[in-house]
Amino acid sequence: MVHVSRKYGFSASHRLHAIGLSDAENRAIYGKCNNPNGHGHNYEVEITVAGPVHPVTGRAVDLTALDALAAREIVDPLRYRNLNEEVEAFRAAVPTTENLTAELDRRLRAAWGTAFPAGAPRLEKIRIWETERNICELGNL
Amino acid sequence: MIISKKVEFSASHICRSPELSDAENVRVYGAAANPLSHGHNYIVEVAIEGEPDPVTGMILDLKRLKDVLDERVLSVYDHRLLNREVDTFSKIVPTVENIAIDIWRRIERHIDATGRARLFSVRVHETNELFVEYRGGD
Repeated sequence: MVHVSRKYGFSASHRLHAIGLSDAENRAIYGKCNNPNGHGHNYEVEITVAGPVHPVTGRAVDLTALDALAAREIVDPLRYRNLNEEVEAFRAAVPTTENLTAELDRRLRAAWGTAFPAGAPRLEKIRIWETERNICELGNL
Repeated sequence: MIISKKVEFSASHICRSPELSDAENVRVYGAAANPLSHGHNYIVEVAIEGEPDPVTGMILDLKRLKDVLDERVLSVYDHRLLNREVDTFSKIVPTVENIAIDIWRRIERHIDATGRARLFSVRVHETNELFVEYRGGD
């Protein structure tokens, strides 16, 4: 069993503003991320999978299939988008790195069986860099 | 407690299995199936688990670890065509998965004679976008 980690990227804009909070509370909690005009990041997404190494190919994951899955579920729908306005999940939830990580995890898990019908590898962890210093991860750590 | 050491080597490889057709090799490995080879600057991160020695304050002698990595990994892998010059890969494809497992097997028994420290994981970064971690076992 090995763990393979692959990194993808997309750039998008967002605004952190919770509808259940007052304007003053939003400013206090989110600081400059609450700017009404929004702002953006170059997001990096690392997907870690776990599986046995295939004796013939020497691979634990079909990287072509993983790349296609990441493109279809993450990069294509999110790149150069306004997350608040253009991504259904963030009409109700604030597009923090935490909520973005949970959303991308949901997307990957929903499509995983179709991308990897043989049942291996399994999705182990997802890690998102909003900036070099803001990192969120979800899964088996 | 875990302490990690990082080393680098540069090598070429060909990701192509003799058991697959040309079309299957290209489907599985993409551009890496080029029969003329290509190369990477690999980064190897070795993580060692143990408790610090009460006297030295160290989990293990990192200089000795560097010597083990030099002798058992870098001298074998650095500036080589892995398929032809590293015996492991005469039988299996030198994917980054198999490289991580091979490095583990080369160094595990040589980490620490005292039993204080043990190899926890081997991480091999093939590019900025792809790395593998192996923690031993099947």
